[in-house]
Amino acid sequence: MDWLEQELQQALARKEPRPDFAERVRRAARRRAPRASRWMATAATLVIASGAGIAYREHQGRVAKEQVMTAMRITAVKLTEIQARVKEVRP
Amino acid sequence: MRSLVLLLAAVGVSLPAQPLKLDLTRLEAKASDKVNISLNRGTLQLASAFLDGKDAEEAQAKKLIEGIDTLDVRNFEFKTPGVWTQADLDGVRNQLRPPEWSRLVGYSSTEDGETAEVYVRQVKHKTLGIAVVTAEAKELTVVSIAGQIDLDSLTELSGHFGVPKLERKQK
Repeated sequence: MDWLEQELQQALARKEPRPDFAERVRRAARRRAPRASRWMATAATLVIASGAGIAYREHQGRVAKEQVMTAMRITAVKLTEIQARVKEVRP
Repeated sequence: MRSLVLLLAAVGVSLPAQPLKLDLTRLEAKASDKVNISLNRGTLQLASAFLDGKDAEEAQAKKLIEGIDTLDVRNFEFKTPGVWTQADLDGVRNQLRPPEWSRLVGYSSTEDGETAEVYVRQVKHKTLGIAVVTAEAKELTVVSIAGQIDLDSLTELSGHFGVPKLERKQK
């Protein structure tokens, strides 16, 4: 066995981790990745919800506007018909 | 409750605009074409935000709905005559009684059975309601507007919405 082989054997030799290694990994994982993804999910939900809210409000506004215009059109037609009838009777 | 209403009436306090009760569901079920619109103040304000002030018709509508609390329109067309009866209209007419309500215009034709009436609700010289009731053999229309109404703006409706403008008589 030459010196290089010895060096490699030492470097790659199996070493037992510290007893708290597993717990440290779990703690780190809990601390970083899920929190970031939770924030991302919350932000995405908020964006989607506000976008949907704005779109729904816009839709409601357009429907209300159409209803007002239809109501005004019917009122205009009926009032004009009445005016015309009254004019016929009392020119 | 009754005594409170009487007390308010006695001291001349007008109650807030009360929309008419338009219970015409029996006719709606029989109509071949129907328009059933009921808009409250909130919806009217929302609509106002979407009306374009640069468009002549929309500007006119925007101006008219400014002080309005409720706007109700029922327009039913029937395939055959004789579907509606006077009893259907009496439910509406019975609410249009003096002293608050008065009939502005009334027209009826025995020849073709058409009737048309315009009622106004005036409280202390302010117009707080308009009701239009028209009935033809195969069509019935009831319009109820509650709130502060500018009568001039209302008469200006002719000339807009595809309706030809009627000339006004010079005083």
